[in-house]
Parts: sequence; structure tokens; C-alpha cells
Amino acid sequence: MDTGIKLAFDLLAFTSVMVLIVLGLGVIASMMGIFNFAHGEFVMLGAYTVFVFESNGLPAWAGILAAPIVLGFIGLVLERGVIRRFYAAPIIAMLGTYAIGLVIREIVRGLLGGHYKSVTEPLPGAFTMFGLDFSIWRTVIVVVTLLVIAGTWLFLARTSIGLQVRGSLENPMLARASGISTTKLYAATFAFGAALAGLAGALIVPLYQLSADIGTRFLVQAFLSVMLGGVGTFEGPVLGAAVIGTTAAGLPWIVIPVLADPLVFVLALAFVKFRPQGFITQGRL
Amino acid sequence: MLNEAGVGAEAAPMDEKGTASASGKPAFRHRFPAGVLPLVEVATLAVAIVVPFAFAERTDLVTLATNVLILSLLAISFDLCWGLSGIMSFGQALFFGVAGYAIALVGRDLEFSDLWGTLPLAALVGLILSALFAAFLLLGRKPPTVIFVALGTLTGSYAAERLVSGWQYVGAGNGLSSVKLLKIGDYEFVEGTAFYCLALGILLLVYGGARFLKRSQLGLVLAGMRQNEERLAFFGYRVQLFKALVFSLAGAVAGLGGALYSYHQGFIGPGNMGPGLSTAAVIYCLFGGSGTIIGPIIGTAAVEVLSYVLADIDAIKRFWPVILGAVLLIVVMFQPKGILGLFVSERERIGSYGVRRKDRN
Repeated sequence: MDTGIKLAFDLLAFTSVMVLIVLGLGVIASMMGIFNFAHGEFVMLGAYTVFVFESNGLPAWAGILAAPIVLGFIGLVLERGVIRRFYAAPIIAMLGTYAIGLVIREIVRGLLGGHYKSVTEPLPGAFTMFGLDFSIWRTVIVVVTLLVIAGTWLFLARTSIGLQVRGSLENPMLARASGISTTKLYAATFAFGAALAGLAGALIVPLYQLSADIGTRFLVQAFLSVMLGGVGTFEGPVLGAAVIGTTAAGLPWIVIPVLADPLVFVLALAFVKFRPQGFITQGRL
Repeated sequence: MLNEAGVGAEAAPMDEKGTASASGKPAFRHRFPAGVLPLVEVATLAVAIVVPFAFAERTDLVTLATNVLILSLLAISFDLCWGLSGIMSFGQALFFGVAGYAIALVGRDLEFSDLWGTLPLAALVGLILSALFAAFLLLGRKPPTVIFVALGTLTGSYAAERLVSGWQYVGAGNGLSSVKLLKIGDYEFVEGTAFYCLALGILLLVYGGARFLKRSQLGLVLAGMRQNEERLAFFGYRVQLFKALVFSLAGAVAGLGGALYSYHQGFIGPGNMGPGLSTAAVIYCLFGGSGTIIGPIIGTAAVEVLSYVLADIDAIKRFWPVILGAVLLIVVMFQPKGILGLFVSERERIGSYGVRRKDRN
């Protein structure tokens, strides 16, 4: 029973990480139809920001707060400079964002010198509830994820900007004709997605060691989550990330760990093959 | 959707200009002399033949040149998918690596490495594996989205790398080293001029085959499919079947390359089937000029030779991957036709198909 709860908590924490990463990717994919191959590197840059803050003697929480802002800015610059050229050609966009990711990854690899760095948990230790120990930091991750999901949903569903976003998603031409600047919205969306990735990276870096390849690890899973959940919806990617995260974290207990990762991919691809629209049908962000 | 993407966009202006040529000669004829492509082909072949004799005493350079030839096979394999037929494959190294492993295992466990058996075997492994992938990713009741194919191949490549690096039987993360030497009868191919000639011969065969495929009626169907898939489907072509066919052939070519790589290096590792090498193939092809078959070879040579030269300069060596990424970005953004696009006319790059005009009249 105790181990059951522990296991469930670990699954929940990992799933939250996945959801955070996927949310940004999903928003960008839904809005602009661009699958951002540099997303994993955005996550890594978020983690790197925290590392830079810590190694300069600044508190880690400041780095965690700064990461989304830094990444949001980088996202904005990239969108204005590069990404906006690709809206008409989704495949070229994949190549272009992959190239951006490659550049970012190799620069950071050069800066890190190819080493693994670890960042200490800002809130170490555990608290006890019902006679069980829970890691405080993992709890923080779960709570932040829930807050971000709730905040994003409220923003999209309840504010007028959210309405504009939904309108441009549904019919960009009509949105433009109605005086909504889709250019600005796209830039903002991309920056927002990058910021979410930065936040995710900043939150997870104490759990994983920081290396240049930390992003690649999540990228494939994140893509499959978006495909699985359905592009063009808000709930879809979140749900897809929940499913992929739970399966990826839970399968190593059932099959041998080496097989677990590929098995998740195969299951997800097979599902997408027979239900290309994903869990949730398109068009309801 | 597809006709807006890169390959499509390159060719679209040609159609407009082509129809405009009834009133006057299209502009690009003036800008570029005709018949550059055969010149490029002949020049490349000449360089390829001269290299082993010019650098006979520099064994490292011959090894590098052989590597270029072998990786060219991978680049051609990607070009068959993307440049010719518009299938975005982010996992071409998968077939390369798996075939390399297959022949390394055949050498280790069955003590067999005769040329006449292993190379066809490698091509067959690549063919079957890619046919299975094609059947899953491309065929089916609902035509797949481009993203699905790209992600499926990427995932396959990534999953295979992870799987192999955890599998003791195939050497896990260390890969398989001291692969048995390739031989004909009693003659063993070691690194050097002989291996170079063998690789060149195989590359020439593959190149000839790919060139024939591109210029044949089948090539015309593929080009049509690449430009406007829906329209071809309405003509009655079973587009997905053609895609699966080309994808399988490309897999066979990649498999052949993988086998040669494994024999040449005496080593094959998980990294040889992962997304890293898969993207290297993309860079080779796009840098050289996709859809031309000779372009990927030039791209491979340029990238590999440059990285070899720069590896000696410490200051640049560290940033070489960054430069490579930046080059890819610049090519994708500003020069989607690659190096070849700089001096080969649009019309020639796309080429003519089927029966020649003078034979028809």
C-alpha cells in the first residue's frame, strides 16, 4: 500500500514534468501548425539559466523565476527573426527549428565543456503525511503544473485576448479581417510556449543532471504526446502528456527498462496511426 | 500542403516560367548555361578517380575519401525519399545502422564475410526493415500526415538507438568492434585504395540506378507526387504505394552504405543508427542540393572534408557543430536549392522525364 502511494506520487511528479513541457509545444503546434524541434533545447536553456544563476552565487529560486522570462525573450527574438518565415511550409519549419535546436545545444555543450552539472534542490528534504515521506520539490512541481494548467486555461477561455487567440486558431483569415493582428498573436504565442519550456526546464533541473542532451530526451516523448492528444486543442496535449508520462514512468516496473522506452513509442505511434486526430477532435482550443 | 513546402516551392516558379516561354525565352536560360549538371557529374567522377592516386601515401586522406563515398550512399538514400518523392524521413540512419549491425553479427557469429553474400544481405535487411516501416507509416486506409511520417521515422531511429545501447548481445553502448574484414575469395579488403575502389564502384552503381529512376516514367510520377499529391491521387495513382516503394528502395541503399561503413571502420555502434546521423544525412543532402542525386554527394564531401580540416584547428573544432547547425539554418532559410542551386539552372535541376522529345517526333 505504502509503496503504491509512493509509486503513484512518483508517476504524478514525472507526468507533471511532461505536461509542463508538452503544454508549450502543443500551444505552438496548435496555433501555427509548427512542430518546434527546438523545444527540447528551450527546456535545456531553462535548466541552464538556473545553473548560471546558481554558479554566480545567486539564489536558485531567482533563476527559476528568471528562466521563463529569459526564454520568453529568446522565443520572441527567434519568432521575429526566423520562425515567421516558415509559417507557410511546415516541413521546412521542422528543419529550421531543428537547426536552431542544434545550434543552441552545441553552444551550451561548448559552455558546459561536455560535463554533467548538478543543481541542488532549492527546497530540499521531505515532509511527512499519513506516515509517508514526500519530496517537497516534487510536490512543488506538481502544484506549479496544476497552477500553470489552470492559469492557461482561464487565460484562453475567460479573457478577451484568449478569445482572439481562439479566433485566430479557428480562422486566421477572418481574425485578420476583424482587426486582430495575428502576427502579434503568433509572436506572443511562440514566446509563451518558449517561456513554458523554460519554466519546465528550470523546475526539473534539480531532479535530472544538467547536460546538453537533456532536451533531446524529452523531445520525442513530447511530440508523441501532442500527436496522441490531438493538435488544435488545449486539453489534448495535456491529456496526451499525462498518458505518455504515466506510461513512460510506469512501464519500467512491468517490463525490463530497456524495452520500456521503445514500447511507449510503439504504443503511441500505433494509436496515432489508427486515430490520427488524437484523443480529442480538432478545433476547440 | 506539400506543394507549399520546400521542394514544391522550388519547382513552382519553373512551371510559370515554362508556360511563359511560349512568348519568349524564360529568363533562367540566360542566367545559366545549359548542360551544367553533366559537367558537374563528370567533374565529380574525375575527382573521385584521381583522389586515391593523388593521395596514395596519405592513408588518412584515402580513409576520409572512402568515408565520404560511404556516407554519400546514406545521403542519396535520403535524397530518394525527400528530394525525389517528398517523404520527410528523419530516421534514414536507422536502416544504415541496422544493416551495419546485421553484417557485423553475421561476421561474428557465422564467420561469414564474403562480398557476394553480405552486401546483398545488407541491402535486403535495409529493404525489408524500411518496407516494414513504410507499411506502418505510409500505407493504410487514411493517408498519413507529413508530421506523422517525420515523427515516426525519427522515433524509430531514436528508439532503435536506445534499444541497441541497452542490449548486451549486440555489445550494448560499446557497439560491435573488430568487425570481420570484407573479402572476395581469399582477398581481404582493408582500409585503403582497394576498399576505396570498391566503395566507388558500388556508389557508381547506386548513382546510376538512382539517376535512371529519377529520369524514368516512375520518376515523373514521383515528381508529380512531390509537387501535388492530391492531384496525382485524383489521376488514379495510388500515391502511398509509390511512396512505400521509394522508401523501401532508399532503405536498401542506406543498408548497403551501413554494411560498407561497418566493414570499413571495423566498428558499428548505437550512434550509427540514431537521430544524430539521420540529421547528418539531412544536412548533407540539403547543403549539396536536394533532388539532384549528385548534390548529396557534393554536400557529403564538402561537409566531411571541412570537418576533417577544421578538426586540426582547435579554436574552430569546438564550434564546428554550431557552425554546421547555422549552415543548415541558412540553407533552409535562404538557399533551399543548396550549393548546386548556385550554378545549375532550375530547369536542369528538375530535369526532363520519360521519352526524349526528339525520339517522340
